[in-house]
Amino acid sequence: MSLIPDSYFDYPLRRKGMDHDRYEARYLRDVPAFRWQGDKTLLVWACVHLEHFPMDMPASPVKPIGGMDRPYPSVWDYSTRDYGNRVGIERLFRVLDKHGVKATAAMNAALAPRYPHLMKEITACGWEVAAAGVDMGHLHHSRLSEEEERALVDEAFSTLRAASGQAVTGWHSPSHSQSAVTPDLVAEAGGRYICDWINDDLPYAFHTRAGDLTQLPLSYDLSDHKILGLQNMPIGDYEYQLDAAFDVLLDESRERGGRILSMSLSPWIIAQPGRIDALDRLLGRFLKADGVASATGEEIRAQWQALGIA
Amino acid sequence: MTKWREPYSYDYAPYAGRPKIEWPNGARVAFWVAPNIEFYELAPPPSPTREVWYRPEPDIINYSMRDYGNRVGFDRMADVMEKYGVRGSVSLNVAVCDHFPEIIERCCNLDWELFSHGIYNTRYLYNMTEDQQREIIRQSRETIKRASGQDLDGWLSPAISNGETTQDLLAEEGIKYTLDLFHDDQPMPVKTRSTNRLVSVPYMMECNDVPVLNFKNISPRNYLEIIKNHFDRLYAEGEESGTVMCVPLHPYLIGQPHRLHILDEALKYVTGHDKVWLATGREIAAHFEANYYDSFTEWMKPFNAEAPA
Repeated sequence: MSLIPDSYFDYPLRRKGMDHDRYEARYLRDVPAFRWQGDKTLLVWACVHLEHFPMDMPASPVKPIGGMDRPYPSVWDYSTRDYGNRVGIERLFRVLDKHGVKATAAMNAALAPRYPHLMKEITACGWEVAAAGVDMGHLHHSRLSEEEERALVDEAFSTLRAASGQAVTGWHSPSHSQSAVTPDLVAEAGGRYICDWINDDLPYAFHTRAGDLTQLPLSYDLSDHKILGLQNMPIGDYEYQLDAAFDVLLDESRERGGRILSMSLSPWIIAQPGRIDALDRLLGRFLKADGVASATGEEIRAQWQALGIA
Repeated sequence: MTKWREPYSYDYAPYAGRPKIEWPNGARVAFWVAPNIEFYELAPPPSPTREVWYRPEPDIINYSMRDYGNRVGFDRMADVMEKYGVRGSVSLNVAVCDHFPEIIERCCNLDWELFSHGIYNTRYLYNMTEDQQREIIRQSRETIKRASGQDLDGWLSPAISNGETTQDLLAEEGIKYTLDLFHDDQPMPVKTRSTNRLVSVPYMMECNDVPVLNFKNISPRNYLEIIKNHFDRLYAEGEESGTVMCVPLHPYLIGQPHRLHILDEALKYVTGHDKVWLATGREIAAHFEANYYDSFTEWMKPFNAEAPA
């Protein structure tokens, strides 16, 4: 008797296109050439993760990206991460403002009541607020019931809308983690874009039972979480890789049509004193180049929608 | 179940004093690039041996990371290879022929070789009976023939999930070369229970973007250095007897904008040397089989004689 049943040789979804119905197969190469508003070819999207890691957070079903490294009660882990919400973020305000960059603040909703001053500063800077769940201890995954998950999605949107006074149309699932219904719940809560799937360098339509969302590219491989946090690379390797990505995307945007360079930034990681100057140099170089501008997630979504590209 | 103490797929062969391999046109190194064009299923059937995904399903971050290769990375990678006249030998999850026929079409237009890396990268050979494995090999052959007109000559087990007798089955089913063995820098005869000949062709994990960039977290700029150093040494040793250098790639990694220049610079470097044979896996295996399989087999015998009683 084999351990492998006959059904292991069935391939019901072996067909042209994807093995699910959330989005269509599309080759970036086939997207018609276009330019962004103002005749720009490359948009830089700064997405700043404002994260709250509760000291008693669970490590299940998986440890989130940037989750606690040591046993409870790890004051070390907690306060290292919270540093971003008081010190790091102020450095980011300064550097991004210097280069005229309005960021998207992908925010854990728990931060709004904890640090009302932080929310005031974010909105005063003209940044966009996007919902990033409740906190890093509440991941979205398929072991939650739909009702439990709906409560998390609704809490995130309603808290952040009330505290920011903004429409809050964007969603970033903590740790790029979704259940099978997260996009449906986000659309039902009035979300208009997500940025959790890391399979493209341009937006695409993402189908839900409440209509289409726009999925925006937010690179995890180029995030400070991955390069500096998970991979433990020195800041020079971060700068090197962001520069290299910029070069390729800028050339491509001029030859083949509009592109996006996403920068996934976490104030407790990139805004350490020994790292922030690298970000300053990168943004200085990027935004001086011809045809480059920065935009928020919602601005990119709206521009993309107006282009009418599938 | 009794476990095997070794693969029993090859005999001992010291690197020094081997019969001299001569590649076409006096080349020292047979250089080949093996892009892995893969499809990982969002909801694969479970395996008794390993977890398929790393997070509870749907593991969207890991699924979409790999999907990037087919949507975006493949064309970028193919452009760079085309620029340097380097053909690919594709380690193919053959279901890609059905999901993304446009990718297969471009591979064929570029005169690339297609060989099998299983049906999906989320369906393993683990725990399969021999007949079940044969079914995978035969389906691979049929699919590649249908999609490209090519014969199936090469094999890399999906997710390197080979069983104890997989190499025997490959030989029996008429596969000409295998990449599952990492024991050498030159092609070697593979020991199997079949009378058909099977050749192992070096497939270098040391230069493979997945272990380098994903498992070992090495920076792209150090990856370029690894490839150059690896090549330099094999080029030098190839003067004595021809060596093989393989760069295994995954478009979801090398086709990312922050890594593409590594491939460009690596291929510029390699093709800037004159004694390089830009080959495919099939061509390397065939050249070895036709010219050196017998002499290597004969030469190896004394190193593997039964110890006196």
